[in-house]
Amino acid sequence: MIHDEAFGSPDRRRTMTIAVLVIFAVLMLRLYQLQLLFHVELDKKSEENSVRALIKDPVRGYIYDRYGRLLVDVGPSYSITLVPNEFERRNARLLSSILQVDSSSLEDRINKAKSYSPFLPARIKRDVDMKTLAAIEENLPVLRGISYQIESKRVYPTAARAPHLFGYRREISDAQLTDAGEYYRPGDLVGVAGLEARYEPSLRGQKGFEFVSVNSKGQIIGGFEDGKRDVTAKEGYDLLLGVDGGLQAFAESLMTNYSGAIVAMDPSGGSILAFVSKPDYDPAIMSGVTPADEWAALQTNPEKPLFNRASLTRYPPGSTFKMVLAAAALQEGIIDEHYRIQCTGGFRFGNRVFKDLHVHGSVNIVEAIQKSCNVFFYQLMLKVGFEKWTEYGRRFGFGQSTNTDTGEETTGLLPSVEYYDSRYGKGKWTQGFLISLAIGQGEVGVSPLQMARYAAALANGGIVYRPHAVEYIRNKETSHIEAVPHDSTLIGLSPHVMELIREGMQRVVHAPGGTGALARIPGVNSAGKTGTAENPHGKDHAWYVGFAPYENPKIAIAVLLENSGFGGTKAAPMAGLVMEKYLYGELKRYQPKAVQKTVAGAASMTPR
Amino acid sequence: MVDYLKEYFDFRALLLCLGLVLVGLLSVYSATFDVGAAAAFKKQLVWAGFGLLALFTMAFVPIRTLQRISLPLYIFNLGLLLIVLVIGERVSGSKSWFGLGGASGQPSLGGQPSEFMKVTSVLALAAFLARTSISLTNPKHLLLAVAIVVVPMALILAQPDLGTTIVFFAMLLPVLYWAGAGNFVLAAILAPIIAAAGALFGTLTFLVMLTISGALLYITRQNRFAAAVAFGITLAVGLSVQAVYERLPSYQQKRISTFLNPGSDQKGAGYNVYQSKVAIGSGGFFGKGYLQGTQTQLNFIPEQWTDFIFCVPGEEFGFVGASVVIGLFTGLLLHGIRVAGLSKNKFASAASIGITGVFATHVLINIGMSMGILPVVGIPLPFLSYGGSALVANMAMVGLLMNFYANRKEH
Repeated sequence: MIHDEAFGSPDRRRTMTIAVLVIFAVLMLRLYQLQLLFHVELDKKSEENSVRALIKDPVRGYIYDRYGRLLVDVGPSYSITLVPNEFERRNARLLSSILQVDSSSLEDRINKAKSYSPFLPARIKRDVDMKTLAAIEENLPVLRGISYQIESKRVYPTAARAPHLFGYRREISDAQLTDAGEYYRPGDLVGVAGLEARYEPSLRGQKGFEFVSVNSKGQIIGGFEDGKRDVTAKEGYDLLLGVDGGLQAFAESLMTNYSGAIVAMDPSGGSILAFVSKPDYDPAIMSGVTPADEWAALQTNPEKPLFNRASLTRYPPGSTFKMVLAAAALQEGIIDEHYRIQCTGGFRFGNRVFKDLHVHGSVNIVEAIQKSCNVFFYQLMLKVGFEKWTEYGRRFGFGQSTNTDTGEETTGLLPSVEYYDSRYGKGKWTQGFLISLAIGQGEVGVSPLQMARYAAALANGGIVYRPHAVEYIRNKETSHIEAVPHDSTLIGLSPHVMELIREGMQRVVHAPGGTGALARIPGVNSAGKTGTAENPHGKDHAWYVGFAPYENPKIAIAVLLENSGFGGTKAAPMAGLVMEKYLYGELKRYQPKAVQKTVAGAASMTPR
Repeated sequence: MVDYLKEYFDFRALLLCLGLVLVGLLSVYSATFDVGAAAAFKKQLVWAGFGLLALFTMAFVPIRTLQRISLPLYIFNLGLLLIVLVIGERVSGSKSWFGLGGASGQPSLGGQPSEFMKVTSVLALAAFLARTSISLTNPKHLLLAVAIVVVPMALILAQPDLGTTIVFFAMLLPVLYWAGAGNFVLAAILAPIIAAAGALFGTLTFLVMLTISGALLYITRQNRFAAAVAFGITLAVGLSVQAVYERLPSYQQKRISTFLNPGSDQKGAGYNVYQSKVAIGSGGFFGKGYLQGTQTQLNFIPEQWTDFIFCVPGEEFGFVGASVVIGLFTGLLLHGIRVAGLSKNKFASAASIGITGVFATHVLINIGMSMGILPVVGIPLPFLSYGGSALVANMAMVGLLMNFYANRKEH
C-alpha cells in the first residue's frame, strides 16, 4: 500500500510550491542582474560586438571566342555600401555630396535597403571613381554604417564590340527581385539582354560571405570565428562561343556607317560565327552602372543603337526567298529542270501587270534563280499554290522562333491561308496577293538571323539548325566542359532538288548575268542570292544570303543593309569580304573596284 | 453560465499556454525572418494548429480511458524510440528524428518520438503509482517505477540526447515525492546524480560529492543493507560517468567543459552563452523593440530559434517582456501543482505533478543556460523554441492538465 496520507499531502504540496517559487526567484534575480545591473556594460558589448556579413560577389564568367580568345573580361569596380540601421540621417547631406547624387534619390535608396534588411549592408552606389572612394575613406569615421566593397565589372579587351550579342546587365528591378528568389539583393546586377541574360545562371557564379567583426564606428576590427563561417564565392562559368572574334570585329568595321545586320553561321552545326547589328554602342558604357544621362541618350537616339537588328528586324526577304518556292516546286514534282518559260519582261495577272527588271527569254529553274527572273516565279507560285509555299517556308524555319541563345528575336511573319482569312476575311483576298509573295515581297517578314539559318540549310543540304553563340560552358572549379545541346530539323529535300537550287545559287555569283557577281571570293567557288526588300517609306533594303566554299561550305551568311537599294551592289560584296576573311583568316584580294568602293564607302557614308 | 464554465473548463491553463505560444511565434519569427528561413515561422504556425488540436483532444478524453491506454501507449512509444535509434535521420549529430517526406535529409514534417515519450512516460508512471496494490516501500515496486522512466531514458541517452535524459530524471523525483516516497528513496535516487555530477569536475570533487552522497544515504537510511546497495550503485554510476562522458559527442563534451570553465572557450561553445548574455543584458528594461534586436537580427547566436530562443524576448522586449515570460511559466507550474492537489484521482494527481516536473525542468535549465547560470545541455524552452513535436507534446500536456482540472472531483 502506498502511504495514502502522504500522497499529495499538504506539506508535500507546500514543498513543491516553494520549489517552483525558488526557481522563479533564481531566474528573476539573474534576469534583474543581467538586464538592470549589467545593462550598461552588456549594451556596450552588444554595440561593439557587431558582425558584418560582407558579401563577396563572385567573379562573373568570362566569354571566349572559338579560338580561345578572351572577348569579355572582368575588371575591378568599387561600390559604396550602407547599413541602414547604423547610418545616421544627419550625415545624408555629406554622403550625397561625396557621391554626387541628389538627396532624394539617396533617401529612396536607403529606404529600399531598409525595407529589405535594416542590418545588412546594401549598395548605394556602384562603380565609383577613385576620387569618390578616397573621399569616402577619409570620412569613414564620421559616416557610421558606410563601407565599400570591391566588385567586378565587364571589360571588353578586343575590337569586337558585339553589344547586341553579349548583352548587358542592369540593376535588378523590384519585380525581378520578387521573382528570382533569395539569391539576389537590391542593387545586384543581373543580365537583362543578350548572352548576359540568357546565361545569367551560368555566368553569375555563387556569392560568398565573409564575416568580420566591426566596432561601433563600423570599422572592421578583425575576422570572426577565424573565418569558420565564411563561404567562399564560387566563380561563374565561362562561355565558350562558336563566334570568331576577329571575324566579328571585321564585320563590324565593314558595317561602320551602315544600318543593318550581318549574321554568319557555321553551316555544319549552326554555330553563329558573327552577329553584327548596326548602329550599335560601346558595350563598356553598360559595364558597371550606366549613368542615367547616357542611358537616356541611348534610348532616345534616333538611330536606335539599342535595337537588335540582327534578330528583331522583320523585312520582306525579296528575291532571296525564291529558293523556298523553287524547293516546293521541285520537291513536290510540279516542275523539273526541263520546265521552261518565256520571260517577256512582264506578267499579266487579272488587270495588273507585274514587271520584271529584264527580259530574260527562255529560262528554266536554275537560270531563273541565277538571273532572279520574277516572271518565272510569278507563274511558278500559281502552279505550286499558297499552301505548299507556306509549308516549305515553315520547313526552312520562317514564321517561327529560331530558339537562338542570343536573346530576343522576332518570329517574322510567314503568311498562310489561315492568316489571310483571319486578317482580311474568307474570300476577301485574291490570288494577286500570292504574286508578291512569290518574289518575297508583301507581308512576308524575316529576320537576318532566320536568313542566315536559311543560307546554312541551303549550304548543308537541308539541315535547319538552332542558331547558337555558345558551344560549351566551362565549370571553372572542376574544369569540366559541357557542350550545350542544340537540336536541328531536316527540310526533306532530295539531293537532286538540292543540287539544282545550289547550282542556281552558284551561278548567281559565278555565271555571266548572275546578280551576285560582286560576292566573289578569290580562289573560292561560292553561292548566294541577292534580294531587295521593297520599302514604302524610303529607299529599298538590300539583302544577300550565301555560303562558301560551294563544294564544302564552311560559312553561311546573311547581310541586310537598310535603305541601301539593290542587294547586288553593296550587300553582296560585303558578304564576300566577310566569307573571305573567315576562310583565309585575312583578306587575300586583289580587290575588285566595286569592293574598294564599298570599303572606302564604309568610312565616308553617313548613317541613316 | 460563466460560473459553470469556470467550474468545468480550465481557462487559466489555456490562457497561460496560449500566451506562451504567442510569445513563441513572435520570437521564432523575429529570429528567423531574415535568415531566409521564414519558412520556419510558417511551419511553426502550422504546428501550433496541430498543438491546439492535441490540446483539445487531451482535454476531453475520459480520465479512465487515459489511464487504461497509458501502458500500451508507453510501449508503442518505446517501440518508436527503438526504430529511431536504428533508422532515424541524423539531425545535428543525434538520431532523434522521423523524417516524413523530407527531401535531401531535411525533415519537412519530422516527428521526434522522444518528445512524446515524456508524455507517455508521465502517464505510465502515474498509472502505475495509482494502482491500489502498489507500495513504494516495496523495493520491487519502487524499482519498477524507476524502470518505467529509466528505460526510455537509456534509449534517449543512446541517441545521444543529454538534455532530454536529464528531463526524464528530473521528472521522476517530484512524482515519487508526491506519491509519498520516503526520504531514503529520494536520497537513493539523488545520490548517484550528485556523484555523477561530481565525477565531471575531476577526482577530488568526485570524492567530495561521493562523501556527501554517502552521508545523505546514511542519514536517511532505514536499513543498512539497502543503504549499502544504494551506495554501491552511486559509486558505480559515478565511476561509469567518466566512461559515458568519453562516449558523448564532442559538442556536448565541449558544452559541459565550457560550463565548468566558461572563460576557456570564448569563440566556440562558450560563445553561444556569451552572446546570449550580451543579447539579454543589452535588452535593458524595455528592450530594443520587436525585430530591432541587433544580436538577434544579426544572427550572432547560432540556432537561436531553438535552444536560445529566450534571447529574443530578452533582447527585444527587455526586462518587462522577459519577466512576463518567466511569470507565465511560473503561473503554469503553480497551476499544475494546484491541479495535482485538487485532483481526487491519484492517476490524474500524479500525472499533473509529472507534467509540472517536465515543464519546470525545461524552464529552469533552458532559461538558466541562456542566462549563463546552468550548463548548455540543449533542451528547448516549452512553447517558445522552434520545433513541431515539442510544441504538440507540450500543448497536449496542457490539455491533460485542463482535463484533470475539469474532472478534479472524479475519483
